[in-house]
Amino acid sequence: MEFSRGIDSNITYRKRRSLIIKLLAYFKPYMPLLMLSILFAVLINVSVIVKPYIIKYIIDDYLAVGINAPDVFLYVGLIYFGVVLIGAGLSYSQTYILTYIGQKIMYDIRNQLFTHIQNMSIKFFDRTSSGRILTRVTNDVEALNDIFSGVLVNSIKDIIMIIGIVITMFSINKNLALISICSIPVIAIITIIYRKAARKNFIKMKALIGRINGFLAENISGMRLVRIFHREKEKFEEFEELDKEYFDTSLRELILHSLCRPIIEVINTLTIALLIWYSAGTVVEGYLEIGVLYAFINYVKEFFAPINEIADVYTSLQSAVVSAERIFDVLDNQEMLEDAEKGMPIDRIEGEIEFKNVWFYYNEDEWVLKDVSFKIRPGQTVAFVGHTGSGKSTIINLMARFYDIQKGQILIDGVDIKEYNLRDLRRQIAVVMQDVFLFSGDINSNIRLRNKSITDDDIKRAAKLVCADKFIESLPSQYSQEVKERGCTFSAGQRQLISFARAVAFKPAVIVLDEATANIDTETEIAIQRAMANIAEGSTTIIIAHRLSTIRNADNIIVIDNGRIKEMGTHEQLMEKGGVYRQLYERQLNYQWIA
Amino acid sequence: MRVKQILWDFIKKFKWRYIIGIVFLIITSFITSMIPRLLGFITDSLNNKMPLSDIVRYLIILVGAAVGAFIFRFTWRYFLVGNCRYLECYLREKLFAHMQTLPATFYDNNKTGDLVAYAINDIQAIRRTFGFGFTAILDGVVVNTVSIAIMVRTINPVLTAMALLPTPFIVFILYKLRRKIRERFTAVQKAFAQISEKVQENISGIRVIKAFAQEEEEVEDFLKYSQTRVDTHMRLVRVSAAFWPLTQFMFGISIVFFIIYGSQLVTRGTISLGDYIAFNSYVMIIMRPIVSISRVIEIWQRGMASAGRLDKIFQEKGEKGSKSIYVVPDIMMRKTEDRKHSLEASYTYESLKGDIEIRNLDFTYPGSDEKALKGINLKIKEGETLGILGTTGSGKTTIANLLLRLYDVEDGRILIGQKDINHIPLKALRESIGYVPQDNFLFSTTIRNNIEFFRPIYQDEQVNLASKMAGVYDDILSFPDGFETVVGERGVTLSGGQKQRVSIARAIIKEPSILILDDSLSAVDTKTEEKILNNLKKVLEGRTGIIIAHRVSSVRYADQIIFMDNGRIIERGKHDELMEMKGAYYRLYQSQIKKERDYYASGRLKVNPGLRT
Repeated sequence: MEFSRGIDSNITYRKRRSLIIKLLAYFKPYMPLLMLSILFAVLINVSVIVKPYIIKYIIDDYLAVGINAPDVFLYVGLIYFGVVLIGAGLSYSQTYILTYIGQKIMYDIRNQLFTHIQNMSIKFFDRTSSGRILTRVTNDVEALNDIFSGVLVNSIKDIIMIIGIVITMFSINKNLALISICSIPVIAIITIIYRKAARKNFIKMKALIGRINGFLAENISGMRLVRIFHREKEKFEEFEELDKEYFDTSLRELILHSLCRPIIEVINTLTIALLIWYSAGTVVEGYLEIGVLYAFINYVKEFFAPINEIADVYTSLQSAVVSAERIFDVLDNQEMLEDAEKGMPIDRIEGEIEFKNVWFYYNEDEWVLKDVSFKIRPGQTVAFVGHTGSGKSTIINLMARFYDIQKGQILIDGVDIKEYNLRDLRRQIAVVMQDVFLFSGDINSNIRLRNKSITDDDIKRAAKLVCADKFIESLPSQYSQEVKERGCTFSAGQRQLISFARAVAFKPAVIVLDEATANIDTETEIAIQRAMANIAEGSTTIIIAHRLSTIRNADNIIVIDNGRIKEMGTHEQLMEKGGVYRQLYERQLNYQWIA
Repeated sequence: MRVKQILWDFIKKFKWRYIIGIVFLIITSFITSMIPRLLGFITDSLNNKMPLSDIVRYLIILVGAAVGAFIFRFTWRYFLVGNCRYLECYLREKLFAHMQTLPATFYDNNKTGDLVAYAINDIQAIRRTFGFGFTAILDGVVVNTVSIAIMVRTINPVLTAMALLPTPFIVFILYKLRRKIRERFTAVQKAFAQISEKVQENISGIRVIKAFAQEEEEVEDFLKYSQTRVDTHMRLVRVSAAFWPLTQFMFGISIVFFIIYGSQLVTRGTISLGDYIAFNSYVMIIMRPIVSISRVIEIWQRGMASAGRLDKIFQEKGEKGSKSIYVVPDIMMRKTEDRKHSLEASYTYESLKGDIEIRNLDFTYPGSDEKALKGINLKIKEGETLGILGTTGSGKTTIANLLLRLYDVEDGRILIGQKDINHIPLKALRESIGYVPQDNFLFSTTIRNNIEFFRPIYQDEQVNLASKMAGVYDDILSFPDGFETVVGERGVTLSGGQKQRVSIARAIIKEPSILILDDSLSAVDTKTEEKILNNLKKVLEGRTGIIIAHRVSSVRYADQIIFMDNGRIIERGKHDELMEMKGAYYRLYQSQIKKERDYYASGRLKVNPGLRT
């Protein structure tokens, strides 16, 4: 469970320190605001400390000695009112500023992280689960909120508060101050013990709620099955056990909660009793003033809140550090970063593609392509034929430089593809993948993506070219038809047509089609066939073929087996040759004939 | 049963705990509100230079009161709040037991996510109403009544009125503020969820984004969501940051009145200095309940809304013949041994025997206008196998649903062993049927648990045999922990075909007298299908079988095959008879054989020799 990792994580002290320093660096642009909020914090503390002092002044200088001075009372009352007003205003502003800083920093980190992830190569996405990436950008960033908005500044505020109270106490009465500060370590120890236990329990409780949630979700989805198999009792018992475990932690939370704060109140009362007892002797001799006692009683009560907050700093720092570590793991990963700035910019390529003795693997020493060489001339249609796993799709991945090759060279228009600007290169090569991905939005936005230079007319033209216009125009909202849940309201064939239209709308020099034929009704199948023929006319076209009948007219057919090129040539040439291709083709024909 | 009734029963059951809790709460509140008075006495004693021994006596009472309040408070919290914690669990178990009896239609009409939210969030809302909502009122009423009474009677009525002056405004403003905060907080959560969705979609579509070089545009789009997150949060803070300063300010006004007017009262001798200090503490004490009024109102409102939602579920009628499991209303009294014993008793049932007969059956799903089945007449002899073919939506699964009595039919339409299905105990019916569903739903637990399906009464050999029969034994052994491998998110992901085969093993191990396979071979390849069908032949010996399928190959050896279309049986007979008819069955056979060959021709070089006929 990721959540509980936070506590037992064995990040070394040094690493933790360097992480915190890295995090603190994000404060830099907001230094003036930060300083302002610390200044406000100090002033808030002053207002808190001054309030009992004002009343002490009234008590000792007027009430205890019996001087009636209504105008002084009014005057002091107004000062008190001013202090309250300023204190309230400052608290509001301080919270606002701190939240602003926190949100801004989280905004910065989140964007930095997202931009970084966008620029990662496909390799990164192959290796990192989408759930993990999602958590980095969402929950992990949110977990930093505590540090940036509040905890650090507030702990400064709290420390100043405690020091402030102690100084004020000493300046009023040294002996009473000494008695009072004895309670600080006791309160601190109790608070820390409570915090630790409560935190542990809280994590457990959260995990249990998660498990109950999961259990219910699973069992409601599987309720039909449980009913059919008549396992209600077994399932109920399982649930009861889980619920009981939750009850136990819930009760523990209650007990912990009902102990800590009340115990501290008892300690406060004890301290107060001690103060009174000590001063009773002195008052009787006429040294101590009642107002002083009043102030002390109030100050003693003010100890708990800051100590409690400071105790919280450690735990929130700890969980923030865990999240920070994960975030920086991604941000520090530079090797998988693609450089979008580098390379020769290109407007338009001709579409000549050449592979020269290309060797490639995804995992070390498991060669996927072995010494592959071929040349595709501009405007040609080339088909790749071979089994699943033979390396067809890999060739396409390499053309668009989703991966870099280990040996050999890939040339486009006679230039090594590493020389080109990556983004420019990819804009020239449109790949229509077998598993079509549709974004939420409408059909327009799925064809155009976020490319503003593609007009509505371009979209219509593209749709027409790939024979998708008929089905799109039959939809109630046509091109503005909403695409829901990754396009599951469309059939596989329709999704394929939309992705064809997307490829065509970008006017690439090279179009790559990963032909998908499963689960398509005949009507769409015919549309797709025609679309492929239309597309092939304008540009260099590469087809990964699953059905041989569709590629008979290709200018060149490349047969790949186990990462090597077995045969190359036109349909006629290969048939004449009588090799693998002919075998494949005849087998297919044979079945058609039987049927 | 309604939530109110359940709550009332619960309270009655634990009335002593509630009474003790309430008594202790009142005592605690009383002590708490006496402490300032005590401090006042002490102040006066100091001021009047009373002997030290008197002061010490007061101090002992003070410390005693504090310790007493601590013990009493702990006790009432343990009883009252602890009961609420238990109530939460009790309600949840009660709800789950009730949900276990609800018919399939209920689950067709309700989203899983909503139901989970009822069981967690709504029940927690009720707990809060009864925990904080209830105790805060009680505590607040007692503390404030006692405090105000002391303030008025022993200190000064005019001063008290002045101190209480701002309270109506405080309650009103804080209540309004709370509603605003809630609204804006919802917006923050929504903004966060949108970021989540955005990132999720972006990662899933990253290949398209990279292929079309849309990275910069995506970042730009992301900035919008990120900015909204900041904006919504700042909007929230604009109101939420005002809550405490505003409260402090309002009570500050009380203190100002107190300084201006109260001080004069002291110097004029109307009240003593002790009263003055006590009064100051009382203002602080009455503040807390007044501030929490707005929170209590909110908690009650939400609790009531949640109770309403839960009521709806609790009032849903359970399936005919099903009984909600009795939930032990006291967590302390639970004994697992009793439960085990009662569980074992439930393993025994009378197995169903005999022919299955469907007589002129029409069926419409509740809430639908269209008939899902029209005039079905069917007889499956004991021990024979029926194959059902047909397009999606033709009514194949409906027949299985009705045989399992997931939906009700009229009397006299479906008979098993000449007994009307409506008169067969649900337990006997369902225990006798081995069912392999269409959606391969596995629970996220070990494979063994999934096969035994949470009833650990089978020997290793039985589990092994069932998985061998289902053709999944080798797959299971290839997993890191074999049968103990955990399935699902936290464990190994099984392929569709593997899940289907585990589902088959789960049905076989029951040794049912009737076995129903609802399109359960769709995700396995032809070769494995053949292997499983061969095994099934053995399994089906002496059992009645129903195989629902899309592929002809799955049913061709059945004793009887029916072809369904639009709720009717349009063709029936054995494979050869149906082939001769040259109807729908024949056409389906032809098209499937062709597809099979295309697939092998292009995708794989090896062709299953069995198909070359």
